[in-house]
Amino acid sequence: MDNSIVVSTPPHVKTKRTTRDIMLDVVIAMLPCAIAGVVFFGWQALCIILMSVFACIATEFVYFFIANKGFSQKCKKAGEVCRRWARQFDLTSVVTGLILALILPVTDKWYEVFYEVIIGGIIAIAVVKMMFGGTGKNLVNPAALARVFMFLSFTLTVYTACKVDAILPSTIPLKDGTVVTGATNINGILTLSKGKDPASYLSNLDLFLGTGVPGCIGETSKAAILLGYIYLVVRKVLKWWQPLLFLGVFGVCAVLLAGFTFDSYTLDISLFLPSILSGGAVFGGVFMLTDYVTSPKGGLGQLIYYIGAGVLLAVLRHVTQMEVISFVILIMNLLVPLIDKYAIKKPFGYSKAKAGKERK
Amino acid sequence: MKAVKGKHLFGSVHPRDCKSVTQDKPLENIPAPDRVYISTSQSLGKPATPAVEKGQRVAEGQLIAKSDGVISSEVFSSVAGTVTDIKDMAGASGATEKFIIIDADKTATDTFRFKKLENPGADEIRERIRECGIVGLGGAGFPAAVKIAPKTPVDTLILNGAECEPYLTCDHRLMIERTDEIVRGARYAAKALGVDNIIIGIEANKPDCIAKFEQYDDIQPVILKKQYPTGGEKQLIYATTGRKVGLGKLPSDVGVVVQNVATCFAVCEAVEEGKPLYERVLTVSGKAVKEPKNLWVKIGTPVKDIIDYCGGEAEPPKKVVQGGPMMGAALASYDVYTRKTTSGILLMTADEAASEEPTPCLNCGKCADVCPMQIMPMNTAFYSAAGDFESALKYGGTAACIECGACEYVCPARRPLIQAIRKTKAYLRTRK
Repeated sequence: MDNSIVVSTPPHVKTKRTTRDIMLDVVIAMLPCAIAGVVFFGWQALCIILMSVFACIATEFVYFFIANKGFSQKCKKAGEVCRRWARQFDLTSVVTGLILALILPVTDKWYEVFYEVIIGGIIAIAVVKMMFGGTGKNLVNPAALARVFMFLSFTLTVYTACKVDAILPSTIPLKDGTVVTGATNINGILTLSKGKDPASYLSNLDLFLGTGVPGCIGETSKAAILLGYIYLVVRKVLKWWQPLLFLGVFGVCAVLLAGFTFDSYTLDISLFLPSILSGGAVFGGVFMLTDYVTSPKGGLGQLIYYIGAGVLLAVLRHVTQMEVISFVILIMNLLVPLIDKYAIKKPFGYSKAKAGKERK
Repeated sequence: MKAVKGKHLFGSVHPRDCKSVTQDKPLENIPAPDRVYISTSQSLGKPATPAVEKGQRVAEGQLIAKSDGVISSEVFSSVAGTVTDIKDMAGASGATEKFIIIDADKTATDTFRFKKLENPGADEIRERIRECGIVGLGGAGFPAAVKIAPKTPVDTLILNGAECEPYLTCDHRLMIERTDEIVRGARYAAKALGVDNIIIGIEANKPDCIAKFEQYDDIQPVILKKQYPTGGEKQLIYATTGRKVGLGKLPSDVGVVVQNVATCFAVCEAVEEGKPLYERVLTVSGKAVKEPKNLWVKIGTPVKDIIDYCGGEAEPPKKVVQGGPMMGAALASYDVYTRKTTSGILLMTADEAASEEPTPCLNCGKCADVCPMQIMPMNTAFYSAAGDFESALKYGGTAACIECGACEYVCPARRPLIQAIRKTKAYLRTRK
């Protein structure tokens, strides 16, 4: 026996799954969406994805290098610092970069939005993640906040120059070929509920496959997202019921709200699928809302969280008539500390009233 | 009786069990060591008081330390020889304990035995269990005499044959080789308790043991799902009977008493042969040991002798563990001596034993999902790191923790959760 022996508290065996492993699974799960995006929107989509991922990784590295003390020391030992960074690199910034790119729309002049995507990546990683303490410490989803930031700051360039592909059916009610907010087909449903021509919106199958649907790179093809969802469930990265609960609650609430006016109430169940399948609800529900760091820890808390998010999305979409999934994710993220404080699991064998009676 | 299926636990992990290495190897007797080091704290509770003096000659099985109080156990010499020293030394946990060191006399054959009991009554059995120093051999080492005399009426005796810890197979071998003794021991224990209903819980990965116990009419085998920690006391009671032991309550409060199969074997020997507890079964395993084995080992045998008997190291181990890999203690050297509760010695190589650096917590909640006690270990870790132990107890539910290690096993960030829990429990003890 030599001196390299390790003494520690048990357990001495551990699962092979590590953080990096899980993040790699998330990246793999998002690949179908990315591929679908590139197929539907062309090589410009690929440029945006690569830029965004690069921006996030680079920001993390630069932050790692210059933050904390001993900058001059680090410059001298740059090689060692790089190795240390590579050792702790857990792919979370790749996940953030991918999500951020997949919730952006594509433009023809992709080079014009180049700096905007870079700024989005910097905001996501530097401001939202690293400044709060890095992996596991961010309060809100970095990609969601970066998207909201970009939406508010660069509305003119990113969101109106959005590319609408030639394969679009002419029946979609779009103003001058642009898609405000980059969301898919929200206006179609909302106008429908106000009594306009029912033929003027996409079929459920189109919405599911993403064929001919304008929108963000990764959000349009629900089929690709479904593949990613199945992969994540099989790999036990997320619990199968989490996105389904959110989407189910959202769909029900959307149907209930859509038929509501002050004079009459009509219930149109056929709106259930289109409401879920349009916009970024599915992508947000599978990849963003379920982010470990910014969702509750216990089962009860998660239940509250997903139901709350579903209701909130339905209400806000109905009121604003816009795609608001990013805002909903941010609001629910901010509620998580509160939920975690009150949704505490009760230990096995816990009983409140029977504490005295149990001795029989 | 025909085996029935046990209930599913809410939280559990499924570590690779690594039992195939030793599960087919019969129990062997390791030759008596030249010198034994017997600690006087062989069970939970107070250490025993030495009853021999330096230089005194002792027989094998002779009482060398008397129990001090109710929760304490008698200690016996495991060899015939001469007491060379009684001194304070560091035990396996690092805490100072009083050790009685006995040099074995290889030629001597004097052996002490209590009088054999024939058709004993309940009181006689209870007294015999106490005077033979029998403790729970599953790992915790709670004196069996206390367990066998519960304050509330009980209706069921559960034998713990789960052996859910990876690597360990000594109970498995014992159940196969000494089935009859275990059953007779269980009958004595049941008689002492005044119950008729005997259940044995065996994990599904030991079908040979289940078949063995199905031959007896008065024992109900229950096949437990392969879940860790299904052999935890509260988990076992739930899986076999569906009863939930309340927080801070004892199994006897829901009418059951749990005994390990090895404990029942010791009861049988104590009653029928009058043999005190100074020997036990243990498994030597891990990739770093040349010949993994199941052994009969005398209490106080140095770990070094055991490793030598098993052919020595195959390669330098990364971790040496006393007990199972999920709950056992890591040893700093081989200068440690077996005790009544040592169920295994594992020499683990670097690729077996996890020793990665922790990374930041992701809040993934997996620790809470797998917790068999349904508490939230991440909260304990979070608050105790900040020194806020009150919040750690409140939000983490630490008081209910059984330290099974499932949370830390599953943690993708390799957080030291058990360490945080122990720290918080230490605070809890000072507060009371």
